Amino acid sequence: MNPVDLIPVADTLTAANGWFQFFLMLTFPLHLFAMNAMLGCGLVAFISHLHPGRAHHELSHELAKALPFLVAFTVNLGVAPLLFVNVIYGHLLYSSTVLMGLYWLAVIPLLIIAYYLAYIYDFSFIKLGNLAMFVLLAALAMLLAVGFIFSNNMTMMISPASWSRWFTSPAGTLLNLADPTLMPRYLHIITGSLAVGGLFTALYAATVLKSDPEVSEAGQRLGMQLFSWLTLLQLGLGSWFLLSLPKQTMLRFMGGGTIATALLAVGILLAVATLITGFKRLVFPTLWLTLPLVYVMSFMRDVVRGNFLAPYFDPTTVPVQVQWSPLVLFIVTLVLGLAVVVWMLMQLPVTRKAN
Amino acid sequence: MNYPVWYVPELGGGLLIALVAIVHVFVSHFAVGGGLYLVMAERKAIREKSQDIMAFVKKHTKFFMLLTMVFGGLTGVAIWFVISLIHPAATSLLIHTFVFGWATEWVFFLVEIVALFVYFYTFGKIDDEKHQIIGWIYFGAAWMSLFLINGIIDFMLTPGAWLSNNDFWSGFFNPTFWPSLAFRSFMAFMLAGCYGFLTATFLKDEVTRHRMIRYSGIWALASLILSIPSAWWYISVLPEPAGKLVGGASPTIARAATIGSFSMAILAGLLIALVLLNPKARTRSLIVLVMISAMGYMGAFEWIREAARRPYVINEVMYSNSILKKDVERINQEGFLKHAKWVKNKEVTDTNQLDAGRELFMHQCFSCHTVGGFNNDIVSRTKNMSYSAMRKYLATIHDKRYFMPPFVGTDNELKALAAYLTAGLHNKPLTDDAGAAGDRGKILYEDNCAVCHSADSIKPKMKTWDLATVRASLDKLPSLHPAMPDYTAPVADKDAMAGYLFGLNNPGAGASAKDPGETLYEDNCAVCHSMEQIKPKMRGWSRETVRSSLDRLSALNAAMPDYTGTPAEKDAMADYMTKQIGGAK
Repeated sequence: MNPVDLIPVADTLTAANGWFQFFLMLTFPLHLFAMNAMLGCGLVAFISHLHPGRAHHELSHELAKALPFLVAFTVNLGVAPLLFVNVIYGHLLYSSTVLMGLYWLAVIPLLIIAYYLAYIYDFSFIKLGNLAMFVLLAALAMLLAVGFIFSNNMTMMISPASWSRWFTSPAGTLLNLADPTLMPRYLHIITGSLAVGGLFTALYAATVLKSDPEVSEAGQRLGMQLFSWLTLLQLGLGSWFLLSLPKQTMLRFMGGGTIATALLAVGILLAVATLITGFKRLVFPTLWLTLPLVYVMSFMRDVVRGNFLAPYFDPTTVPVQVQWSPLVLFIVTLVLGLAVVVWMLMQLPVTRKAN
Repeated sequence: MNYPVWYVPELGGGLLIALVAIVHVFVSHFAVGGGLYLVMAERKAIREKSQDIMAFVKKHTKFFMLLTMVFGGLTGVAIWFVISLIHPAATSLLIHTFVFGWATEWVFFLVEIVALFVYFYTFGKIDDEKHQIIGWIYFGAAWMSLFLINGIIDFMLTPGAWLSNNDFWSGFFNPTFWPSLAFRSFMAFMLAGCYGFLTATFLKDEVTRHRMIRYSGIWALASLILSIPSAWWYISVLPEPAGKLVGGASPTIARAATIGSFSMAILAGLLIALVLLNPKARTRSLIVLVMISAMGYMGAFEWIREAARRPYVINEVMYSNSILKKDVERINQEGFLKHAKWVKNKEVTDTNQLDAGRELFMHQCFSCHTVGGFNNDIVSRTKNMSYSAMRKYLATIHDKRYFMPPFVGTDNELKALAAYLTAGLHNKPLTDDAGAAGDRGKILYEDNCAVCHSADSIKPKMKTWDLATVRASLDKLPSLHPAMPDYTAPVADKDAMAGYLFGLNNPGAGASAKDPGETLYEDNCAVCHSMEQIKPKMRGWSRETVRSSLDRLSALNAAMPDYTGTPAEKDAMADYMTKQIGGAK
């Protein structure tokens, strides 16, 4: 069966495709930041449990308090990019969602349980004693499983050639395991997330936790170590991912495409620079280098997606019927909403103290 | 037809959607109303300078945060996940049409989260006035979420002017927008009171406990009372088919409406009043009952709203099986399988009929019918029908039962689906008249009645009936059972069916007593006019007048061809017709 025949017809857009691309590329890295902070915060808290002494115990406790917030923002900031992916690639995404329906639905109970475990870890940290680290471990495992399910859907939706398996297996139990890019891609993003999460933890320890120098020091040390070593590992995993890509796509990053090659070059330069600042434990310089790095990585991800889809789908061919007023409503609400959010955060005693 | 189907035969998607939706609605409305409840209760604590009430508000906020933010937030995402899995085409249409509505709602979701966190973690740490402002911001954002989602949900039931102009705002501010917003807001406040009840019972201090129980009770009762007229308003603005369905044309909706909403509203009101009158009693179990009945009220409303748009998933736009109304005619001409993306059989052939039928079932019926499952099981619903009866039923399915979408496709495809539903599911023979040759009454019964009940199942009910009673009952089916539609067939058909039904309990009687004149009339005249139609014209005619008119039909009406039967046949027909107008030989 020709994969092209299976691809559903895309629905009409209410604004030019570029708008949705813009919002997607704007919000997806925000989700990544929150998700990275969540995973990294969890991992550092866990490693900290393995170290004896008051400072590490306190560090875990402090990170426990932050974890539920990070879960909440990861979910919230995931909604916006998922919405825009639904708009641009909905017909592809829903198809692969049906193929893996059972796993896709499992995301919800996994998240609910992990979220409540994060709260239990926070609110009952002292009462739980040594059990606390296992509660945390369970939550982390579930969150990593959610990431794996997402990786499957995001790779399966761009591989219509794998879709005809539905005819023999329509019960929603298909994953994209045969795809050679799946594992390197998943490991690449998870390792990157944990690294950036380590950096977040170091930042958190350097600012919010600075009133307790011992705890602050432990947090910065663990966080920056995690960041630096995982980023080093990441160079290897990144190369694996690059080599696993179909040759044509890979070559675009190796000189074949100007934008793709430039992105990869800038990405590698930034990564190497963060390695230097990271091993030197310079928290803020590393942060300033990492923020653009995450954006560069998500742009590269988008280039990969575009290349995979090139034989099947050209977003510019989707019919457009523009209506401006809802777009204006969204932008105005977003600006006002962010202003209100900033005002509320200013009221926090912790912000005032930090200022 | 555009998308693959998540196919687990015993587990249909409808039940899953209903389950997730009702749970989410129960928590998410609390998330809205609870916001107002929290600020108002906090204000009460500030005004009355009550540390106890303030401690209660803080504790309630923690419960509120854990329930609404985690469970409420994620079940909301769950609805999105579930509908995109079960109704991908409809989800895509809603997402594309209202993308900036959803995006705006996401901003309010973000504000809600930040506000609730800040509110909870700054109790007693910032001044009261600022704390109250943050509470108000939370409530405002939560209510705006309701405002936005309300517009999109109601669009599915009443798309209004959007149908002709495709304008975002026409679809958003659709005919049921305002009544629904009012109803949902009152429901939200009622649920806030109910949840307030629940946490208040855990208060240790007796005086505070009674005060907060009473305070929550007034909230719940007042909102419940106000919700009733807004529900009425909602129903009154429903357009014709939906209004008719809710008004009783759909027996299941009528049942949900009466049992669900009214008894729940009364029960909830009664229970709340009881608690109010006597807050000192051990009220926790009573309050659990209040919660359950409030959920019943809310659940009945949501269920009716969902059911009222059948056979559509988006009213007048897309049928429940994802087929667009505007495509129906084209597909009927050109074929469903040819246009469907996710089918193996692109046309029906002699060798693939059953498999093509199975694919048609997956894409046109499975969205509502399970195969051997709990929800709308297709196997039990088709067991009484022959292949020929099934074909006739499928051809008129939407006319006979409005809430079912029409079959869409060519005649060959219809035959393939009928073959799958009879031969495929029940190993029935694929003969045209299912061995009922000769007995028209039996064929009529199978075509019109057997889809819901077999002849055997109704036989005992008619045990003591004479032929006239059976015949009369066919004129007033809805009065026998509210779920039965009227049988709008010519008198001759009803007579034939009555004969067959009477014969079930009285073998050898009615069934064989068919008038030969009647058969002649049906074969020669009924294609243009039923007996009923010409009866008034023959009023007062003698048998002779009738008989002679049969010799000069074209003189009576130029459009009528002369009857070329033998004199004996004309005599038989004249006898039959005279009998019909009450005359004698």
